[in-house]
Amino acid sequence: MAQPPGPFERVYDAHAVGIYRFIYARVGNHPDAEDLTARVFLRAVEQLDTGRPPAQIAAWLYRVAQNAIADHWRAFYRLPLVGADHVGPGWEPVAPGDRPPTDEPDRAADRVRRLLGRLPPTYRRVLELRFLERRSVAETARAMGISDGNARVLQYRALRRAALVGEANDA
Amino acid sequence: MPDDERRLDEAAERFGRYLDALLGDGRPSPAAVDDGDEAEMARTAAELAAGSRDAADSLPDPAFLDQLKARMRHADEAIGALGTPPPVRERPEPRGLGRWRLTRRQVLQAGLGAAAGLAAGAAGMGLTRPGGSPAPDPTGSGAPLVGGDGFWTEVATLADLPEGGALRFSTAAFDGFVVNDGGTVRALSAICTHMGCTLRFREEQGDLRCPCHGASFDLTGRLANGSRAWNDGGYLGDERAYPIDLPDLARPRVKVEDGRVWVWTAQV
Repeated sequence: MAQPPGPFERVYDAHAVGIYRFIYARVGNHPDAEDLTARVFLRAVEQLDTGRPPAQIAAWLYRVAQNAIADHWRAFYRLPLVGADHVGPGWEPVAPGDRPPTDEPDRAADRVRRLLGRLPPTYRRVLELRFLERRSVAETARAMGISDGNARVLQYRALRRAALVGEANDA
Repeated sequence: MPDDERRLDEAAERFGRYLDALLGDGRPSPAAVDDGDEAEMARTAAELAAGSRDAADSLPDPAFLDQLKARMRHADEAIGALGTPPPVRERPEPRGLGRWRLTRRQVLQAGLGAAAGLAAGAAGMGLTRPGGSPAPDPTGSGAPLVGGDGFWTEVATLADLPEGGALRFSTAAFDGFVVNDGGTVRALSAICTHMGCTLRFREEQGDLRCPCHGASFDLTGRLANGSRAWNDGGYLGDERAYPIDLPDLARPRVKVEDGRVWVWTAQV
């Protein structure tokens, strides 16, 4: 007979999928999402006080997840990592009124539509083919009637523009 | 201008490798991404990649969920085996290694197979060094030594352990390697501190490698291909280094007497 779940397993059961989706929406691939999710829960085993009220536990987990995501991207900016031990996790939600993001995937899909809608048609087209339809560079090039090299340059320029548009959106 | 064009072609080609990995659901490497603007582009691409997926494709792999859940269950069991209920604190604990934190960390480092045995050892440690830090390390690695209640077990002869070599051993409470790191003999846990997979010794590289996600630990028990190696230009020809930092491998005490190697293993 299975043992009744202990405190960490209960925390895990309640939040594993939510934390994973929260992270996946920000790193965009499953291998990194798995690593960072594991990191959040292994840190919980070290440091989380499971006697806290559920809302505080959720806030703690999402805060640690945010730190893990920030460290993930700091490697891309060649910035020194903050490191798990240097960040005070805190018990408050990450922003006033911030709730564990259950509606995450829908909001992400909305953001994609909004972002693509603000790009010039060629840029929008190349990103639609690559991201929404998941076509390869070669297939994208064929669909647009350009060379593979040009398709690569086009997706590069399109993302450069998208990053700028995205920043303006955030502000 | 041809020069600018060539630069753009090169950047587009390099960054294309990041996108191919991202969209192929591999692990994209920061090596394909220049810092600054391109990092911002990589981030935008990641959000686009996630946001353009069906909800079903954004869900975690059930096998991954099960594996991590097993670690949570073992943590519950190991901490339960300490016989001390988790303290309820009104305020965050002070910085530094409190006794509870120390034992939890050691429980975590023990990995799956050894959790219960190490918990027993860690409890003993807490009693002898209340609120203290791990035992000082005579051989210079930062990895905490595992002490506490236990006994010496003979695991190898020195003759079988040439410099740069490693041998697997198993006791009731511990799966490990004894290694000969340039004349220094050390015992290290064979359990990866990431997800609990069993490490393999790679003689050519002189490291302990995890078959699951590719973490490499050096013969002092430290992650050798973590983000630091990444920033310093890679690790032993790996295409990319391990993108997160992991705790050191647990390291039991070891002694060599009359050419025989003994390891201190915790009482189960």
